[in-house]
Amino acid sequence: MLRAAVAAQLAFMTLPTVVVIAVSFNPTAILSFPPAGFSLRWYENVVTYPQFQRAAVNSVVVTAGAVLLALPVGTLAALALERARLRGRHVWASVLLSPLVVPGVAAGLGFLMLAAALGLLRSRAVLVAAHVALVLPFVVRSVWVSVRNLDPALERAAASLGATPWRTFRRVTLPLLRPGLFAALLFAIVVSLNEFVVSLFISNRVTEILPVAMFTYVVNYTDPTIAALSSLFIVATFVVVWLADRYLDLGRVFLQH
Amino acid sequence: MRSRLVVTLLLALLMLPLVLPARAQNALVISVWGGNWKDTVDKVIGKAFTAKTGIPVEYEVGGTIDRLAKARVAKGNPLVDLNFTTTHVARLYISDGLYDKLDMAKLPNSKEIAKEAFRSDFHIGSWAYVYTVVYRPDQVKEDITKWSDLWKPSLKGKIAMPDFDPSHIITIAALMEGGNEVNWQKGEAKLKQLKESVAAFYSTDAQSQDLMKTGQGPVQVMLSVNAYHLQEQGIAVKVVQPTDYPGIVGIDTMGVMAGSKKADAAHQFINLALSKEIQAELVKTLRAGPVNLGATVPANLKGQPGIFSTTAEWKERGYIMNDEARAKNLPGWREWFTANIVKK
Amino acid sequence: MRLLLLPAVVVLAVFAAALGALFRWSVLEFIPGSLQTGGLTLANFRAVLAPQYLGAVRDTIVLSALTTVLTLVCAYPVAYALARTPSRWVRSLILVLTLAPFFTGAIVRTYAWVLVLGNTVVTWPVPMLFTERGVLVGLVHFSMPTMILILAAALSHIDPVYERAAASLGAPPWRVFRRVTLPLSMPGIVSGALIVFAWTLSAFPTPELLGGGKVKMIANVVKDLGLDSFNWPGAAAFAMLALALTLALLTVVGRVSTGRAT
Repeated sequence: MLRAAVAAQLAFMTLPTVVVIAVSFNPTAILSFPPAGFSLRWYENVVTYPQFQRAAVNSVVVTAGAVLLALPVGTLAALALERARLRGRHVWASVLLSPLVVPGVAAGLGFLMLAAALGLLRSRAVLVAAHVALVLPFVVRSVWVSVRNLDPALERAAASLGATPWRTFRRVTLPLLRPGLFAALLFAIVVSLNEFVVSLFISNRVTEILPVAMFTYVVNYTDPTIAALSSLFIVATFVVVWLADRYLDLGRVFLQH
Repeated sequence: MRSRLVVTLLLALLMLPLVLPARAQNALVISVWGGNWKDTVDKVIGKAFTAKTGIPVEYEVGGTIDRLAKARVAKGNPLVDLNFTTTHVARLYISDGLYDKLDMAKLPNSKEIAKEAFRSDFHIGSWAYVYTVVYRPDQVKEDITKWSDLWKPSLKGKIAMPDFDPSHIITIAALMEGGNEVNWQKGEAKLKQLKESVAAFYSTDAQSQDLMKTGQGPVQVMLSVNAYHLQEQGIAVKVVQPTDYPGIVGIDTMGVMAGSKKADAAHQFINLALSKEIQAELVKTLRAGPVNLGATVPANLKGQPGIFSTTAEWKERGYIMNDEARAKNLPGWREWFTANIVKK
Repeated sequence: MRLLLLPAVVVLAVFAAALGALFRWSVLEFIPGSLQTGGLTLANFRAVLAPQYLGAVRDTIVLSALTTVLTLVCAYPVAYALARTPSRWVRSLILVLTLAPFFTGAIVRTYAWVLVLGNTVVTWPVPMLFTERGVLVGLVHFSMPTMILILAAALSHIDPVYERAAASLGAPPWRVFRRVTLPLSMPGIVSGALIVFAWTLSAFPTPELLGGGKVKMIANVVKDLGLDSFNWPGAAAFAMLALALTLALLTVVGRVSTGRAT
């Protein structure tokens, strides 16, 4: 009976995905399942639609910028959280994780107002700043886990052998933090690429990132183009997650045995 | 040390696109409704314009009201150069100082258009249509022939209406009770009776089409052009020419944003849009009524709801609302409608 | 060492500035049709307590509560299987099917439901798209991965020895579950419910696309006021209320769960 329940739930979670992929091959603009034929025209539309092309570029720029900033900032913060003598360490931890708690619309509206006040409405800088703040909690959490498992004795050993603090950091600490850093990188990229609500408020036609462009399209058109774009996302994600599971054994990451 | 320098340089290079304003545009930016509206403007007018002048065209899409809101916020430093909007909402643009006066000397083609298409010194008509009842005969057992059929109990839970502009249904309800759009309160009670019959409200054209396609809102107060678009996509809908009161005429208009740096190009675009050939193409593609009296209307489209061939037809087969009353009452209408009809 | 926190503090200061701007706008007077404002006023908060907006608040809380309960019920079996299955293959399958949706983004996942609920596959006996039912389905689907992972993590901490002991003492499986597994997984249940509830309060894409204008949650109202009507003061006031509500609820439930754990 448990098996039936699990199968039913897994079907529930996966069925919409199947429908989307099937619909994306529909030859006409009417969404039907099973599809009335086979056509790649909507995939063609996705690749040639200028707004998607521009949004894809924006997504790459914003995510790259956000990740490049958030990784070092978050790593330093994680080190400080674990190693520094802090009064109210848990308060600091909560503060660093606080962007997770703020409703997306509140943060989005706030950033929009801030950008308007600073005259930065038409630049991607605001987008990057917002993404860094939104991605930081994930980075800090991931790296903090690794820092906790870091034995300070190793770094002390390096120092006692004459290595400068920078050398120790570069040659000892960072390599040992690799699992946490890798997880942080993955999380940061995924969160930023898919970030929608806050970005909706602070993007305009020229700066909008891909999820926002998709939303605009869904709201204005009823053809299966978004089904095609979604299918591309879905397949890419399934492949990445499956690979991650094969090589990292995600069971160990999320569960404990 | 060198690796640090390299990394810093890389970072600096990456930051550059973030601080620089996103690509400077030499394109003419046009604000228009999305979906098949933008596609048609692009296909029929935009491409011809670019071919003629070499200036690329870009589009800012959105709904009527949110594009107005964005324009207000960008006042004085507009993000768009040319704006498409309904004739009455254009009055709101004008009263907010968002439009520049049209330079008629730059619009020689305007001599060929219907008198009704000259809406003001600031905005000029591009095409016309009607709001009428549109329904799916395969989902609704009986024929719908007049506005008052909407109130039939058999249509309970089958109707979908726009939530962003209730002008037409409010006017029709008022007309039914011996009033009109100026003293519209006469129709309030009648409207409240309709509340139970409404299955859904749509905020966009796309949503309205979704509701029709899925059969959730098989009876709608809809723009004739959108109805024809559905037919083109293979959905059999019937566009009603109501026998009790006419469809509510809508005239979409063009205007040049105040402070636009491409006013010349904008005027060229408008002039092109008013030409006989482009207008004839618009009639065929959109199935809207032309504003240029010289534009040919294909025989199979003559007499269809929303497609007027002569100025007489504009008056006979449609109810043209008072622009200013409509603009003035719109906010109040939206508020009343949201509180009394949309709200559960 | 403490200085290492400085860059993060700068980032958070920017974030705080954004929230500060939000607070500032919420107390300024709204002048329709422009982004200019009048003086300080509490009128925005009074205006957003109007019945039509309060309805959205009520709907949000009800939908969030229902989502939490339903997600819990649906996710538990999957989480249990994930934590207890000896087969690496089954674990991988469940993990991939759970994590992939999690990483594909809000629009993709919600659009999929626009299709399914929109009579594309089957014609539903009652309307699903653009109704509360539809939004609820979308919200539950959205919350499943999170709940599954949290519950699975909690369940995997429970040593199976306890369950085996109870079974060996003659307790039927249902009893083992009710008397051993369930109570031991309570912290996981509470934390999962907490997170899903708090997240769902601020849900935006699901009600936006699946609600069709008739089902509005708090986030949708903020967007309507802020991006469509450009009533920034009103939008800010509502966003502040949403923020306060989230924080208040999290504190209350947090205190309850800490009380229970000790």
